[in-house]
Amino acid sequence: MKELRILLARIAGLFTGHRADPDLQDELQSHLDMETAEYIRRGMDPAEARRKALMASGGMAQAAEAVRDQRGLPAVESMVADVRYAFRTLRHSPAFTAVVALTLALGIGANTAIFSVVRGVLLKPLPHQEGHRLVYLRHSTDGPAGENIRFSVPEVRDFRTGAASFGGVAEFSPWTLTLESRDGAVRLSAGLVTGNYFEVMGLGPILGRVTNASDDGPGAAPVAVLTHDGWMKRFGGDSGIVGRRVRFDGRPVTVIGVLQPAPFFPRQVEALFNMVVSSHHMSSLMVEGRTHRMTEMVARLAPGATLERAMSEVATVSARIQKEYAAAYDAGSNHRIAVIPFHEVMGERARLTLWLLMGAAAFVMIISAANVANLTLMRGVRRRHELVVRAALGAGVARLRRLLLAENLLLAFLGAMLGVLMAMGGVKLLTSLAARYSPRAAEIRLDGVVLSFTMALSAAIALLLSFLATLPREGGFAAWIAAGANRMSGGLSKQRLQRGLVVLQIGVSVVLLAGAGLLTRTMLRLSEVETGLDTEQVLTMQVTLLTPTEILSNPAADAGAKARYAQMRDEIAAVPGVIGVGIGSPMPLRSSEVRFEVKAEGKALAAGEAVPRAEVRTANPDFFRAAGIPLLQGRPFADTDVPGGVRVVIVNQAFAARLFPNEDPIGRRIAWTGDVLRFTPISGDWRTIVGVAGNTQDAGLDAAPRPAVFMPFAQELALGGGFVIRADSNVAALTAGATRIVRRIAPATPIENVFTVAQLKEQSVSPRRLNAALISSFGLLAVLVAAVGIAGVLAFSVSARTGEIGIRMSLGAGSGRVQRMILKEGGVLLAIGLALGIVGAFFGAQVIRGLLFGVTPNDPATFIGVAVVMGTVGTVACWIPALRAARIDPAVTMRS
Amino acid sequence: MAAEKLDVKQGTLALMILKTLEVLGPLHGYGVARRIEETSKDRLTLNYGTLYPALLKLEQEGFIAAEWRPSENNRRAKFYSLTAAGRKQLAREARDWHRTADLIAAFLAPKRETP
Repeated sequence: MKELRILLARIAGLFTGHRADPDLQDELQSHLDMETAEYIRRGMDPAEARRKALMASGGMAQAAEAVRDQRGLPAVESMVADVRYAFRTLRHSPAFTAVVALTLALGIGANTAIFSVVRGVLLKPLPHQEGHRLVYLRHSTDGPAGENIRFSVPEVRDFRTGAASFGGVAEFSPWTLTLESRDGAVRLSAGLVTGNYFEVMGLGPILGRVTNASDDGPGAAPVAVLTHDGWMKRFGGDSGIVGRRVRFDGRPVTVIGVLQPAPFFPRQVEALFNMVVSSHHMSSLMVEGRTHRMTEMVARLAPGATLERAMSEVATVSARIQKEYAAAYDAGSNHRIAVIPFHEVMGERARLTLWLLMGAAAFVMIISAANVANLTLMRGVRRRHELVVRAALGAGVARLRRLLLAENLLLAFLGAMLGVLMAMGGVKLLTSLAARYSPRAAEIRLDGVVLSFTMALSAAIALLLSFLATLPREGGFAAWIAAGANRMSGGLSKQRLQRGLVVLQIGVSVVLLAGAGLLTRTMLRLSEVETGLDTEQVLTMQVTLLTPTEILSNPAADAGAKARYAQMRDEIAAVPGVIGVGIGSPMPLRSSEVRFEVKAEGKALAAGEAVPRAEVRTANPDFFRAAGIPLLQGRPFADTDVPGGVRVVIVNQAFAARLFPNEDPIGRRIAWTGDVLRFTPISGDWRTIVGVAGNTQDAGLDAAPRPAVFMPFAQELALGGGFVIRADSNVAALTAGATRIVRRIAPATPIENVFTVAQLKEQSVSPRRLNAALISSFGLLAVLVAAVGIAGVLAFSVSARTGEIGIRMSLGAGSGRVQRMILKEGGVLLAIGLALGIVGAFFGAQVIRGLLFGVTPNDPATFIGVAVVMGTVGTVACWIPALRAARIDPAVTMRS
Repeated sequence: MAAEKLDVKQGTLALMILKTLEVLGPLHGYGVARRIEETSKDRLTLNYGTLYPALLKLEQEGFIAAEWRPSENNRRAKFYSLTAAGRKQLAREARDWHRTADLIAAFLAPKRETP
């Protein structure tokens, strides 16, 4: 109660404080008068009486201040005054203010931008209801392309019944459908899902409804739920879409709802359908084929269930089914299943890159803050005089500290404002980088949380800066005054702190530079990788005349499709500039979704050896020549390789090395094998190898080539198709013409993945380039700031030692000697910083090992280069103050 | 200046002020200071920076009230007087103080030798 009353009185005082001042003055004056009168009454002369009374008062101003502190809320009042004062001080030193605010802005901007990405992609809770209970299951095997082989429907069934920790298990089968609309056909990235999918995922509709159990089974009507992305992109956010029938893959499907915005894994989709939309997903192959693995599995942990328990249950079920259906789990492949929290799997590819960037940004922050700290320290020394005067006028140490804090807060927030402006620009760039690594890039935002982070960071810096400044202990100002405020050397301990900060700056810059160097070399190495195509003048376009569903349900359509492919090829070949057109699928430099187990005639697998698998590809006779893929052995396909003829194949070098090491593969026979073949139109007949093609970097420039088998386009059903178009020059210019031809012959057919080889290569290189460019700019920034830092500290040291240098020179030290002395002073700092930095970089490089390609983490060339760059820049930075020291005129210094 | 000067603690000063006002009735700051200094036989000196914040605090707490009026020799001065709450507070504080003083005295008294 009492406290409350005082607080209220004080708050009232906050507003009446200044008005009440004359009252206080009057009161104190009346006290003084009465006391003076008393002394006079006792017989003192008036002047003496007044002096005595004043002495007894203990200072009128101090008393007024003490009463004021009791009257209002002194912390608030003095804060306002401090901020007002800080504004004035900073306005009077615009250069200092600008340098500090800009330096801080760089650090704060970089951190804000990158933190917003880290938060959006890695830290933010998923938009899914109770997203932390969602798990993703991943089925992997050893060998190339075995990282994620997905699940078959029977396997999903086993886990659904066998793992009690799962409250729900849903299937998601990535699928591509053709959406027919008035503007032509487009291929839609979609997913086929079980009715419980949305319930398991914890996603709800913003319009209409989502699927449920009644949408499962062969009798259900085909329905679609549009994702927010798909709804906006394909239907312009039309709010009347629910209930409409839209043609997908040639059949009408009812749109039942639009989903809330959400990220999908492993890829973004535009619509989700119930299984009945694809007859393939209703086939016995899909429902009963244990090795027909094309389903992603997501599950929701039951209430009370833990991830650990789920993992052990999954392992148990997995071990049981591997024993029970030994034929479906080749022992050499090491089938294993990981249970991964959904939010983790979403960010798994981005994690290392993002933390690297966050680390680099933090380093930039450290360097900038160190620089600002040094500037503040130096300014603090110059301001000693001012502080001493303020102390003499009655400001306590705590009050001075508050004043410094106000100033630093103002500087930091100025920096933060500029930094946020910079971050706004940076976030756009970073979002495009993040989009390549994570489906959650759309969630990146400069929101309240990010801004609070920025504010907290700025406040922390301000606090740090304020407590770096040395103030004497309470009552210790007398010593300062006695020492004379014009001595500016600032004391040994402070110089030690400044030097320590410079060493830190150099060390951190070296670490950043080394990272930048390694990533730049990675990027360069990557762009040097041969694609496997001997020319860049190749355009590829995928043209799907018949979807797998269509051709499987109506194999007779094949002949017509092939005739149309041939017609398109002939017309494209006639375009001026075109020197070759090949037909095949999938396109070179794109990986094939279809991989089958394969066996070689007369070769038994060694015990425990994994069954070899190869990508299934098709090519026509001109394909290799048009694409520029060299045939290392044998012959290309011929027009005589037709249905009914001898089945022939061309394999790639990786395949030959895997199945026929140190043997001539030409003339040997191979066959597709495995349970899956029963359900596909591809036969398990023996096929004779007639040629060996060079490897191509289908899975990206940094991935090992995978074994592949090409079958003659003419000998198989046209399960997919597309054109490789070779030109003598400027192949990109052919895009429009070729697209027009395809459109005219097949108006309803979507054209996808139209890329030149150069563009495909760029897709592999560009994220790395952006990465390297970001770290490099951080590195350069760091070096620059560090150079300014070391030069500044030396310059300060020189100005503090002007007198000493003058004495040395008048005693006979030459200017060369003085210059060497200062250079040595800087050189020591530089050397220590370099040594620490190299050690730090060595450890840092191990952390980013996973991001490197073609360079070892302790690449000597990079490390030497970094040391040379930092050494050179550092030396130049030392030279400037050293020169200044050498020019000191002893006569002038001694006189002052 | 034979007598040793003592520092005066905030809480103690409040008690002294309340007691002074109870004994002498409404009084200005100078009067309060004189009275306290005299009572302490000049072992205590009160500068303005100690006295006036204490007076203000008591006023904020509602234990004393202030009013400008002419003083004995026709100067204007601010007079402080005890309120009802102040009277109660004084009784409470005095009681507490006696208790504490007794306790401390008992502690510091020369110990009897125990057999």
